[in-house]
Amino acid sequence: MTKWRLMSLSAIVVLLASILTGCFGGAKKESSNSDDPAANSDIDDPARVIRTIEILTRPQSSAPDEYETANIIAEAMRQLGLSVELKVSPWEQLSDIVWYQRDQWDMTGWQMAARPERLDPDEFTYNLFHSANAEDGYNFVGYQNKELDSIIEKQRVTLDKDERQKLIFEAQKIVAQDVPYFFNVHPTLNYVYNNEVFEEQSIVDMAGLGIKNFWTFINAEPKGSQKDFILNSSDTIQAVNPLYISGSVDSWITELIWDRLMRVGEDGLPKPWAAEKVEWLSDTEVKITLRPGMKWHDGKPVTPEDVKFSFEAPMSGEVPMYKPFVEIIKNIEIVDDKTLIFTLNAPWAAFETASLAKINIIPKHIWEPIINDLKNKPENAESYQEKVPVGSGPFKFANWKMSEEIVLEANKEHFAAPKVDRWIARIIPNMEAALGMIQNGEINFLATYTGDAQLLKQKVDASPNLAMVSSVDIGFRFFAPNLRRAPFDDVAFRRAIASAIDRDMLVAVVWKGFAVPGDSVISPALEFWKNPQLDYPSGGIEEAKRILKDAGYQWDKNGRLLYPEGKTEQLGK
Amino acid sequence: MHKKWKFMISKVLQMIFTLWAIATILFFLFRLMPGNPLAAYIDPTFTKEQQEILLQQFGLDKPLWQQYFIYFGNLLQGELGNSFFFKEPVIKIIWNVLPNTIYLMLSSLIIAYVIGTLGGVILAWKRGTKTETVGIVLTLFTRSAPQFWVGMVVLAIFSFKLNWFPSAGASPAGIVYDSEIEKLLSPQFYKHLLLPSLTLAVYLLGLPLLLMRSNMMDVMNEAYVDMARMRGLKEWRIMLKYAARNAALPVITAMAVGIGYAIGGNVVIETVFSWPGLGRLLVDAVTSSDYPLAQGAFILIAAVMVFMNLVADLLYSLLDPRVSVRR
Repeated sequence: MTKWRLMSLSAIVVLLASILTGCFGGAKKESSNSDDPAANSDIDDPARVIRTIEILTRPQSSAPDEYETANIIAEAMRQLGLSVELKVSPWEQLSDIVWYQRDQWDMTGWQMAARPERLDPDEFTYNLFHSANAEDGYNFVGYQNKELDSIIEKQRVTLDKDERQKLIFEAQKIVAQDVPYFFNVHPTLNYVYNNEVFEEQSIVDMAGLGIKNFWTFINAEPKGSQKDFILNSSDTIQAVNPLYISGSVDSWITELIWDRLMRVGEDGLPKPWAAEKVEWLSDTEVKITLRPGMKWHDGKPVTPEDVKFSFEAPMSGEVPMYKPFVEIIKNIEIVDDKTLIFTLNAPWAAFETASLAKINIIPKHIWEPIINDLKNKPENAESYQEKVPVGSGPFKFANWKMSEEIVLEANKEHFAAPKVDRWIARIIPNMEAALGMIQNGEINFLATYTGDAQLLKQKVDASPNLAMVSSVDIGFRFFAPNLRRAPFDDVAFRRAIASAIDRDMLVAVVWKGFAVPGDSVISPALEFWKNPQLDYPSGGIEEAKRILKDAGYQWDKNGRLLYPEGKTEQLGK
Repeated sequence: MHKKWKFMISKVLQMIFTLWAIATILFFLFRLMPGNPLAAYIDPTFTKEQQEILLQQFGLDKPLWQQYFIYFGNLLQGELGNSFFFKEPVIKIIWNVLPNTIYLMLSSLIIAYVIGTLGGVILAWKRGTKTETVGIVLTLFTRSAPQFWVGMVVLAIFSFKLNWFPSAGASPAGIVYDSEIEKLLSPQFYKHLLLPSLTLAVYLLGLPLLLMRSNMMDVMNEAYVDMARMRGLKEWRIMLKYAARNAALPVITAMAVGIGYAIGGNVVIETVFSWPGLGRLLVDAVTSSDYPLAQGAFILIAAVMVFMNLVADLLYSLLDPRVSVRR
């Protein structure tokens, strides 16, 4: 009996202690600073109180960095007197709201991924910020700046590199001042490979893309008995279709099965590939000499007719995703059995990277009847899946087990034949298992890893057969304000929020040092195009409050942020 | 005999009615969703003209009762539409992963039910002893341990530490089997199958074990068991030949129902072991709003469940004639 009495007594004491701690404990509130513009206010004006801002973010389980960043940003905003809530949503729903309900959201997490085509600054500047793309294109924040528009349009047609650099620098300066994006970081891309399977020198590190790139795939040289390149993907393969941009792992596969006239090289600049020579005859005319001896995987030869067809197919209406990259082509003339002349409507500085290095060369004898047939149907070429995809690239399609793996075989007749026998992508949704697999050899290249980079480094250091290569991404992470909705339509407000976000802390806390702070859509990995001197707000909470005060914002007696006098909240609580 | 047939036929008719009811509910469910009901049938990334054409093709501009007939006609022909995500026929996509799901399901259920049934017999036999206490605690532990945790522990030990088994997929990297039979005859396949099916079996065996145990305890009090004892038969003979046979009936039918549940619900095991099955496919379809695929998988799972319920009913009536004869 005494034993029970003692136990229940202790339980009650513990319970009381917890309740008391809960009520009176916790961090002490900082004493008001008389320099703090938010302190000592006696304003009471409920109509001017800024509504609760909703920040969209992906869930913690699937995008831990975005979720953590959202929390940090929300907290910073609260210190400015704003009421902030997170709205967690899976990717599909989040992108649906941001894309198709453009006036319904306040702020969202987002990211731009590294793709070879994005090594030219045109894609990020034009697609993201030109006002033409605000209604239904990539300029989903709704940024409208006529001065920037004309600079963007000018750089597109400026063929002199140094002149163009000046314009890109100017564009970045305007963006850093106007803050249409709250930049976060450029993560480092951390890839691991098995250096007992592959020669170290044969692994290619590409600026802004890391070692997971086309050049590594065709160049990797097997040292021992393992002759296959086996890597992991966490997403299912959606389609293997040269006329469809369907996903990141799908694009690795498309790059290997189909050739392009040019390819973005290791240095980030386009170089001839399926074309032996690319000669500009004038600002708008380019002569392409096709490489001789190229054959389709079904044995037939690659002809200039195939090339002409490949660039004209996206204009047929059945290939919507590639249309923007060929619209500028006025005419394609076949001069002889290995030469073509492309004539453009207007000069385009990024043409080589954005078009010649992007359009897949497809066999006319296979796709022409398919596309003609699709013209009578509601579906388009994105819905068509070849049973055995046929390209002319360095790897041939061998086998595809949906949800499990895809196997490509080396095309030994290719002019740049791979050194490995096969390229195999295993679908591994379990990230921890993928880590185990690179260690025990079930895969020999860790291509997808969204876990803790620090842990990865520790594992790699502890394993003699693993090597990790980290490179700064050309992609970047950011949070996007909706410029259509007050208070985000006010540049002072945006500059204040940007100032309040501590990007160095994000690098240290969220990314454990495996990132660099970002202040531009152009990554430091693109040394030639990155403007190193940008005036992006970074003074911290104090600076943020000063910016707000100078713009006329005030705080009420409860510390809540108010619109400047004369302006009230129109968008509901 | 006549009564038995009547019983069976009435059960089959009940199954057909249930299937019809489910299909009808599904029909209305997708049309009563908030937002654009057509979003379930028309890929939102199509242009307006394409959507108009599809609307007519699917008869979505016709009155509801006509749509219902078209829907049923399609269903009976196995026409489930095209997946929004893969752009290929839903039937084809499900067919791709269905064999893998069936292998995992059958192997784990068989292991679970064999071990579970025997375990139930032993625990009932050893009633009141320490063996029983330990056994019950262990069983409750296996039943309540999260599958992903058990799976990760199993992977960590048997796959990554000991390197005895591969950790992902249904076959080794790069293997191409000429036929399904070749795959089933290859020892590599079983190496891949063992860990996931054992992990799933560990979770599943709780049900047959406890069910068997409680049935055994009922049966052990019956008169004929006392009679067998009085006749001097060995204890294990009594347990297995007399008691277990009768106690096993509900367990057999539970297994049939278990098949119905297992066909689409193993997404956790499939994710941990990267097993290419229907569970993962269904969850991916739901999160990416791929309605045709989600609907197709849903119909398949419902059909299997209903069918297995019928099998359970019929099986029970065959094993225990009293059920079909009683009114």
